[in-house]
Amino acid sequence: MGKPQYHTDIVKSFVNWSLVWGVVAVLVGVIVSFQMINPDLNYPPYLTFGRLRPIHTNAGIYGWGVGTIFAMFIYMVQRLCKTPLWSLGLARFQLWLFNATIIAAAVTLLLGYNTTLEYHEMEWPIDLMIVVLWVAFSINIIMTIIKRKEEQMYISLWYMMAALIGVAILFTVNALAVPVSAFKSYSIFAGTNSANVQWWFGHNAVAMALTAPPLAMFYYFLPKSTGVPIYSHRLSIIAFWSLIFMYLWTGAHHLLWTPIPDWIQTLAMAFSIMLIAPSWGSVINGYMSMKGQWHQMRDNYLVKFLILGITFYGLQTLQGPMQAIRSFSAFIHYTDWVPGHIHMGTMGWVSLVSVAGIYFLLPRIYGREVYSIPLANLHFWLVVIGQLIWSTSMWIAGVLQAGMWNAMNADGSLTYTFTETMVEMYPYWWIRAIGGVIYLIGILVFIYNVYMTVQKGKEPAPKLLEVEGRA
Amino acid sequence: MDMASILYLAVTFGLFVVFVLIVRNTYRRRNKDAKEAPKYRMMDDD
Repeated sequence: MGKPQYHTDIVKSFVNWSLVWGVVAVLVGVIVSFQMINPDLNYPPYLTFGRLRPIHTNAGIYGWGVGTIFAMFIYMVQRLCKTPLWSLGLARFQLWLFNATIIAAAVTLLLGYNTTLEYHEMEWPIDLMIVVLWVAFSINIIMTIIKRKEEQMYISLWYMMAALIGVAILFTVNALAVPVSAFKSYSIFAGTNSANVQWWFGHNAVAMALTAPPLAMFYYFLPKSTGVPIYSHRLSIIAFWSLIFMYLWTGAHHLLWTPIPDWIQTLAMAFSIMLIAPSWGSVINGYMSMKGQWHQMRDNYLVKFLILGITFYGLQTLQGPMQAIRSFSAFIHYTDWVPGHIHMGTMGWVSLVSVAGIYFLLPRIYGREVYSIPLANLHFWLVVIGQLIWSTSMWIAGVLQAGMWNAMNADGSLTYTFTETMVEMYPYWWIRAIGGVIYLIGILVFIYNVYMTVQKGKEPAPKLLEVEGRA
Repeated sequence: MDMASILYLAVTFGLFVVFVLIVRNTYRRRNKDAKEAPKYRMMDDD
């Protein structure tokens, strides 16, 4: 049987565009972090924190995150199924619609059109674009899986299918709204139902967009980078099904101590704790896959990105369940601790694994060796240090903030005014902004390395392609 | 206990049974080679 002809140009396009939106996301993130320090940097009505912050999150999640998912899924599904992509035309349509959607989202958010639902701020016309985009993508991937030449499905394919189905259900349900004008709609859910559905979506968007796809990538790129299969495929299957079984119940842990029914809060708390098991099933599988290969942490930059990535995933999935416990939540919820947690996931786990995937792909889609491995190592250290400064400063700030909010005088009055607690945050917001700048420099080093790879990278030796990434 | 609660418990229990069956099928001794095969086959997919 002849070797299948895989489509790589479309992967290249998605990689390039996800990088563009990734830079936008980080750049806007750095800008809003300085706006927090200096309110004079807000230029109303368009360039204010309130309008730029959703651009930062949406460019990060939908532009960088989902753009990378498109690229990686299209690359991986063809190889894992040993068959070309079902429809190249559909993928090209998806590429155009993807960029049109991101641009439309950015413009309307700048103009102030906002549903006020976090991570779902876009108004209904853009929701429709997203639905068409995701359906087109899902059909293409699922049809490729159906037409596969491999009888058994590798674990990455399971995570990919979960992401496709999960995001479709979550997004559609949370988008249910009654339009009242071209750019205004009202959710069909009201009151506590609205809050419950919103966080069922919000937390599970993390599951289906920022956990399942990076796990699909991790399970694919780790063995490809080390040259050694994963430790246990059976463990990965059990971790997958238990993750899927447990994740969808946990959204209400964002609503502890609110008027939603107490049993829903308890259920969410219990399932959040149970979620440690499947999360760590993948972490342990990753670590065990390195048995006898730990030296590669020294001389294979791809392994560094992947193992640090899964380590941040492990830390994230311990910290998250702790935050879902009522007593702990009462202390840290609504403080700066929470963005510290989220950014360990996005800047640490998701981005490190995605970047490893892109480095792995470069020689395969451009036919050139990565331009500079020292630059890739510099990129690694800049983003890891930047992220650690970012998150650590926010965890300390969050604890301080919570302590000040909860401090009471003997007569029961509050010890500190809200303004006093804000003033105490300034040094930490400075440190956070500096961490963001270091991270941004790391991303720019990455972009430069990618650009130079395309322009001046050497032709790769065929053998090198088998196990990529050795320094 | 009303019908809604019974139905809710039944669905939860049903999901748990499905999960147990998946674990049993995955870790059955005679299925070991078949269930581990994809991790070797994916190494040669380029």
